Order: sequence, then structure tokens, then C-alpha cells
Amino acid sequence: MPVAAGAGAVSKAASNAATGVRQSMAWIHGWLGLLAGWILFAMFLTGTASYFRPEITRWMQPEIDLRPVTAATAADTAAAHLQKLAPTAEQWFIYLPDARTTATRIFIRERPSPDPNAKPSPRRPELRLDPATGEEVTARDTRGGEHFYRFHFQLQIPHPWGRWLAGLCAMAMLAAIISGVITHKRIFVDFFTLRWSKGQRSWLDAHNVSAVIALPFHAMITYTGLITLVAMYMPWPIQANYKDPATFETAVFGAEPDAEVTGRPAALTPVAPLIAKASEEWGGGRPATMVVRNPNDATATITLFQSAKDRLNARGGSIVFSGVDGRRLSASPPPGPAAETSGVMLGLHMGSFAGPVLRWTYFLLGLAGTAMVGTGLMLWTVKRKRPGAEPLFGIRLAERLNVGAIACLPAGMAAFLLANRLLPATLPARGDIEVSIMFWTWFGLAALACVRPIRRAWTETLAIAAVAFLALPLVNALTTDRGFVRSFANGDWLFVAFDLAMLATGALLGFGAWRTAQISSRPVRKSRPAVRPAKPLREAVDAP
Amino acid sequence: MKGKMAGSSIANGRMAARAFTAIVGGYAAAAGFVSLLARIAPVDRAEATIWAMTLSFLVYAGLILWAFHEIRLARVAGTIWGLAFGTVGCLWLLGPAL
Repeated sequence: MPVAAGAGAVSKAASNAATGVRQSMAWIHGWLGLLAGWILFAMFLTGTASYFRPEITRWMQPEIDLRPVTAATAADTAAAHLQKLAPTAEQWFIYLPDARTTATRIFIRERPSPDPNAKPSPRRPELRLDPATGEEVTARDTRGGEHFYRFHFQLQIPHPWGRWLAGLCAMAMLAAIISGVITHKRIFVDFFTLRWSKGQRSWLDAHNVSAVIALPFHAMITYTGLITLVAMYMPWPIQANYKDPATFETAVFGAEPDAEVTGRPAALTPVAPLIAKASEEWGGGRPATMVVRNPNDATATITLFQSAKDRLNARGGSIVFSGVDGRRLSASPPPGPAAETSGVMLGLHMGSFAGPVLRWTYFLLGLAGTAMVGTGLMLWTVKRKRPGAEPLFGIRLAERLNVGAIACLPAGMAAFLLANRLLPATLPARGDIEVSIMFWTWFGLAALACVRPIRRAWTETLAIAAVAFLALPLVNALTTDRGFVRSFANGDWLFVAFDLAMLATGALLGFGAWRTAQISSRPVRKSRPAVRPAKPLREAVDAP
Repeated sequence: MKGKMAGSSIANGRMAARAFTAIVGGYAAAAGFVSLLARIAPVDRAEATIWAMTLSFLVYAGLILWAFHEIRLARVAGTIWGLAFGTVGCLWLLGPAL
């Protein structure tokens, strides 16, 4: 195969135009997929988990079990609480709850001191409130589902490098999808072809099936993923048209109120009626965020931002009201076709609009994408092993990195969830410790896998990951009062579904461990006895 | 680049130049091209800007793939860097619209 032959493949591709394109595309597909593959696998898996971001957060704070109320009530109780906390702050941010996120979140921006030499006041932490009462709710410190979500596009690397690396990998994914489609001769046939236990052939079939079945999803999710950070990745069209980027933002999103505080006190208007007014203007759309500027001042304004939960376009409009008499002052301009398109792309990526059925579909398609990347990585190494020859260093390295990504990352994610239940609830900085435990488990297991024979490394790491996931429902039942039996009896379907999802994940990983143990005990290809002495093979038979 | 070409430092150097042209040059050419389009398209400025940003990744992906498909490295480098410098030069002459 010329695929591995570096520049040679490119020059060979000259000979024949039709096969030439296919060959060069196969070559670039293989290399792009390999170089970006391990990070893409992690991005796909954590991104897929992030479709349940609020649910994961709620599972990770089992102390909080709030009853949903209307947005108007939540806004009223939050505003009353903020009046007590910070009546003269510069801005209040109120993130209203909904069916999936049950707590109201508030954030206060203090007014900077008029004295330029004064130290800036420390940033106030975000608070969570019971939407029914406006009382603060306290729970164990955790990053919750937010951790997987942030990792998905920041990769736990300092800003802005994590986002740039994620963007580069997403570009590689886009180019790999296009080149992968060109490489294919028989997309329709591949849809129905999956031959098990045939070594390289099976990995190719599995790669094709997972890629082809969900191809529109893969293409959509990759492109829209790039769009989520387009302002960072491709700001140059803005520079080409505008001297000041703020002019562009105002043209697209409307002007933000920026009145300076006067110091003339004026009582803040009740906020609940504004919610009803905004909802009427949006044809029933819900507000997601309320920003109060200069509360209790004559220049007070209240801006309501539309929720993306009930619409395809994730960039909802905003309406500015007077904070003194509740008059409607201004609103964001209606989006043009381009703004609408880009907002819908954002919405398609985030999937906020999706109800339960579509959300699970998103989740399963995300898993198909994860499988596509994973099987592609496996195929790359399997294809390049020569019968009877010790594999090259690069191939052995790729094999280990495959274990590190495909088997060790899930183990790390399970460790993150286990740590949430096993660390004392009052431990200082426990949220950060949970995150550290995920990475120590992930990279620790990956390092361990490097010193084990490759087949054993697969079996052992997959088995550890399986056990960790299977243990989660048990640990949850022992450490909280929301175990499976009680959740089922109480109709606490979030906790029931979470336990079932963990069991299913554990079973899937366990199946993987069992398969790798079986395969290492059965000489599928002639190469294996030559590469591996007989003894470890027999040990593998005894392995679970 | 292991494989048949291993050991050929000229081939490795050419592949490095090709990869650099594809990734860095391709980005510059895509950015310059869509920005020029955004600057001169006869539609609303904000709309033209958003269309250009939205389509930029497709242009970039196309340039990357073409850079690895076309055999003649000189042609790849000439086209991509030419497009990059040409479009950025035009934008520099035009200046921002607003």
C-alpha cells in the first residue's frame, strides 16, 4: 500500500486521475486521522457526555433536589435575594432555571472603586438559589457536568492554547471526513457490511459502518463545532470590514445598555411582569438570563435574553427594559439570513433544543462518532503490522496511545464520578481534586499500559474501566439516600437513568475486555505467534 | 514519515514544506480569501461578514486537501501563498469599510 509511503504516495498519485484522487485522499485521511485521532477521541467522548451536562451536575450534587417553579417566580425570588446581598452593585446576572437545571444561578459584578489606586474588589463567586424561596442552596463543591463540557473544547490546557488545539483537531476531522468520503467507492454497500473476527477486515468494516451510518451527523457536528468558536478562529472578516469589532457586535446583537450610574436612587421595578412581556414579544419563547444594570438607580436597566431551549437558533434575541418603570427601551435586531444560519449551526451543535428522545439520539450519534474515531485508530495500527516482523517503534507507540485514549479515558471519567461520591463532602477544594483524580487515573493507567504486553494492556485497562463504571450505582447507593431502589420507588428518573447508563457503559467496556482476552488467546492472524512467545498467550487464556 | 521514503531527508523536507503550506499557508489563504469576499460582497456588511466566517472552514479544508493531492510542490506553494499574499494585499489597500 502506498498509503504509508509519505511523499511517495503523493507522487504516485500522479499516474491516474481518478484512482489518483482516491489514493492521495486515502493517504491524507490516514495521517490526519492518526495525528488528531487521540485528541478527537477524547473530544468526541466528553462532548457526547456533555449532552447531559445539567443532568451530570445534578447527579454530582445529590443534596440538591429542588422543585421546578415558573421563570417569573424564580426571577422574583432571585431579585429579592440580590436586593439583600448587593443593592448597589454594578450588575446582577440571574440565570433562570428550567426543567433540566433546577437551581437559579446568580452572579454579582461589583462597582469598581472610583479611586484608581484602590485594589479591585475580589470577584464574587457564583451562587445558587432555590427558585421557590430565593434561599441559597449549598452542596458539595464540584465542577459537575461542566468539567466534561469545558474539557471537550479546552482540553484542560491554558487559554487560548487548549481552544486552538481543539480547533486544529476539529479542522483535521473536517478534512478527514471529506477525504474519507472521497476515498470510499461503495458507501451504500459499506452501510450493511460488518464482518466480525476477521482482524483488519473487521476494523475496516467497523470504521466504515460507524462512519457511514452517522455521516451527516459527523459532518454536521464537526463543522458546527468549528462555528461555536468562529469568532476566535476566524475573526479576519470582521477586521476586514470594521475598524472597531464592537461596531459589528452592535450591528448583529444590538447595543448593550451602558448608562453611567447617577447616584439618584430609584426603586427597582418588579421583574416578574417583564418576563411575561418578553415572552409575549417572543411568541411564547422563554427568557434564560436576566441582567440588571445599575439596580436601584435612576439609570437602571433590565435586559432579558431568550432561551435556546425551545428554538433551533441558539442565539436568541434580547430586550432591554427600564429598571425604574419597566418600559421597553430597545431590542436586538432581527437576525439576517447569515446570522440565522450561524445561530442555527450553533444550536445544532449544542442540541439545547432537543427533547428527551432527540437528546438520547444525539448521545448515541456522538457515541457512533467516538466509535468511528476509535476504530479508525485501531485500523491504522492493525493495517501496518507486518506478519512475522517486530512492529516499528511508531506503530508500537500508536498502539499504546490507542490504549491510553480508548480504554484509559473512560476509566478516568468513571474515577471522576467515583471521587465525587467518595471524597468527603466538606473537603476543601474537592471540586479541583475530583478533576485531578480523573487525570491521574487516565494518564496513570496509560503509563501502566505502556509496560504491559499490548493485548494484556487492552484487557486489563478495559476491565478496570468496566469495574469502575459497574461500581458507580453501588457506591451511589451506599453514599447517598438516592440509590437505585429508592430512586425507582420515588420516581426519581434522573438517578434511575444515570445508574442504568453506568451499568450499560460498564457492560460495554466489560465486553471489550472479554473480547480482547479472547482474541489474544486465539491466533487470528499468522503474525501473532511469531511476534509473541507462547507463554503470555496461555496466561491470557486464564485471564478473566 | 516512516516507510518507503524513510532516510530521504529531501523527501522529508519537501513533506514538511508541504504540510506547513497546507496548514499555515492554507489558513492564511482561507482567511484572506473569505475576508476579501466579506469586504467586497454587495450585501449588508454584517451579513457578508458572517457568511464569510461561516464558510471559511470549508475553504480551509479544501485547500489543505488540495495541498496534499497536487504533486507539484512548487504549484501548491505558489498558489496557496500567492492567494494568501494577494488577498491580504488587496485588503490592506482597501482598508476597513466601516
